[in-house]
Amino acid sequence: MKTLDKPWVLIAEREITTKLRDKTFIGSTLVMLLIVMVAVILPAILAGKGGPDKIGVIDDAGLKVVQTASVTAGGDGYEATRFSDRPAAEKAVTDGKVKAALLPDADGYVVLGKDRVDSGVEGALREAAAAVGMETNAGKAGLTPAELHAGTKVSLQLLKPGPLPDIVSDFVNIGLALVFYMTALGFGMMIAQSVVQEKESRVVEILAAAVPIRSLLWGKVLGNTVLALTQIVVIAGASLIGLLATDQADILEVVAPVAGWFVVFFVLGFVALAGLWAVAGSLATRQEDLGSTTLPGQMILMIPFFFSVFAGSSAKTVASFVPIASSMSMPGRMLTEDVPVWQPLVAIALLLAATVLIVRMGARLYERTLLQTGRRLGYREALALESK
Amino acid sequence: MLRVAGLTRRFGDHLALDDVTFDVVPGRMTGFVGANGAGKTTTMRIILGVLAATAGEVRWQDKPLTQDVRRDFGYMPEERGLYPKMKIRDQLVFFGRLHGLDPERAAARTEKILGRLGLAERASDVLETLSLGNQQRVQIAAALVHEPIALVLDEPFSGLDPLAVDAMADLLREEVTSEVPVLFSSHQLDLVERLCDDLVVLARGKVVAAGAVSELAAGPTSTYRLVVDGDAGWLRDVRGIQVRDVAGGTALFDVLDGAVEQKILQEALTRGQVLEFGPERVALSDIFREATR
Repeated sequence: MKTLDKPWVLIAEREITTKLRDKTFIGSTLVMLLIVMVAVILPAILAGKGGPDKIGVIDDAGLKVVQTASVTAGGDGYEATRFSDRPAAEKAVTDGKVKAALLPDADGYVVLGKDRVDSGVEGALREAAAAVGMETNAGKAGLTPAELHAGTKVSLQLLKPGPLPDIVSDFVNIGLALVFYMTALGFGMMIAQSVVQEKESRVVEILAAAVPIRSLLWGKVLGNTVLALTQIVVIAGASLIGLLATDQADILEVVAPVAGWFVVFFVLGFVALAGLWAVAGSLATRQEDLGSTTLPGQMILMIPFFFSVFAGSSAKTVASFVPIASSMSMPGRMLTEDVPVWQPLVAIALLLAATVLIVRMGARLYERTLLQTGRRLGYREALALESK
Repeated sequence: MLRVAGLTRRFGDHLALDDVTFDVVPGRMTGFVGANGAGKTTTMRIILGVLAATAGEVRWQDKPLTQDVRRDFGYMPEERGLYPKMKIRDQLVFFGRLHGLDPERAAARTEKILGRLGLAERASDVLETLSLGNQQRVQIAAALVHEPIALVLDEPFSGLDPLAVDAMADLLREEVTSEVPVLFSSHQLDLVERLCDDLVVLARGKVVAAGAVSELAAGPTSTYRLVVDGDAGWLRDVRGIQVRDVAGGTALFDVLDGAVEQKILQEALTRGQVLEFGPERVALSDIFREATR
């Protein structure tokens, strides 16, 4: 041996550098990044964290109502803008300088809007006006505000509090399953394509003469696993920045402890499938064959994905132990429910066993079919082949 | 020395190779000829470990050939192929490293070979943008980049014009040192005759002739050719020879008794002008036809 370069390291390296120079790969990663950023930032903007809404007023009473509404909303929800008279306030509303105007009326107030008034704004002003009015009335009747509100406080108590609200849970579950599904499918197809390209261009003959065929397989699996993980880390990093920038850091406290588990489930599931995708590539002789040879791989991904998205909670619990399906559903379950620690451990053990099994069988099939360039082979046919 | 010992390969019921044995001697080019389907490519693929032998083995320096040693071999397969969308410099460096060179050495060797092949200024081009002839050059560069300890070339010159063949043959002579055995198959027999020192002829999976080209071409008997300006019919009456053919002034005969050819030359000179006289070299194509019949 002239040097210490392991062949599978070289193959992995080539796989990675080729992808990093591939404009389609870079482009699709950027698009995914953009989508994630939008998904993280948009809700914050829609939730109105983009600064206080301006409300026009013309007297001190109106000013007090707007201030009360702002305090109720958490401090900086609304900001009062003072106008000299009603026509000036009307003009500001029409020009869009203020969201709405709160004007005195014969029996209380009127909320003035252009073509519509946001129901949130209307509700907040209505509630604040009532509170301010009631306090004033209570003062007249000789009651302090505290006496007025005595016995009316309603607080919330949950018997089985989950880490996240229901609707968020559903999104997180689907989101995590989707991340695995998309990544495994996307990179899976890339692995299959990269294998069949080597068969199509016949370069595989030189590769197989230079290094053991297993090294070729390992190099491809390693290279693409590194790429897939990197892509996920980049996207996770982007969403982290997005969350911090939009003051949603509290979500992180829930997500962070599960992140490590997710990586383990992801890597094991991905490697198992990668072996299968490489076989799909080596069964084919041309790109067009991939449609049929990758079908089993697509099914193995698609069925657990829809299952983990649409199944009921007890079915989901079962799925979170089934290898491959567990990669899609266990991390989500751990985020949204209280899962005892033995459950992910058992799921990982099962997944690990399945990964070893699949990869071993994949390696055997790969070795037997890689140099068969004559025609497309079926899985059953490949199993019956003798080696070389 | 590379030795192929008793190689046998079956594909189902078909016996593709039947006890094939021959040596490829270092520093000598061994031509490997045979009709289509004779088993040349099968033999070469077994040497490179791409295909397994049903029986027999490949030996290197009197030991069974291992994967580690084989990594230092150079191979140009019958079906050409490199990465179409990879730059040729990156490609050659990759193959150099795959065959065990360190990155610096692989880069240096790549520059040298590309320069030698006149492809230096195309080094950053993607392979598929090159002409077929140039792609072929890159292919041979990929087999040579790691300074192989043995070379196996399957039809290395097919599809090349005569000038390109000469350039490639020069490159081979320059790159291949006296320790390197070279086996190359070809159906261009004139080329094999011109380039090769040894010859192995394969027919239907069996070795039917093997040896130095010069010996094989000399033929088993001493056949002479005589061309005179008159009629050469008188040769039929000379003792000690067997006339093969006489047509006007041209005759072909086998010498049975030693030194009788000198007497015939003297006789011919007394009868008139001798235009041509000498031993008849058998063309390789005749050996080939004879052996594979």
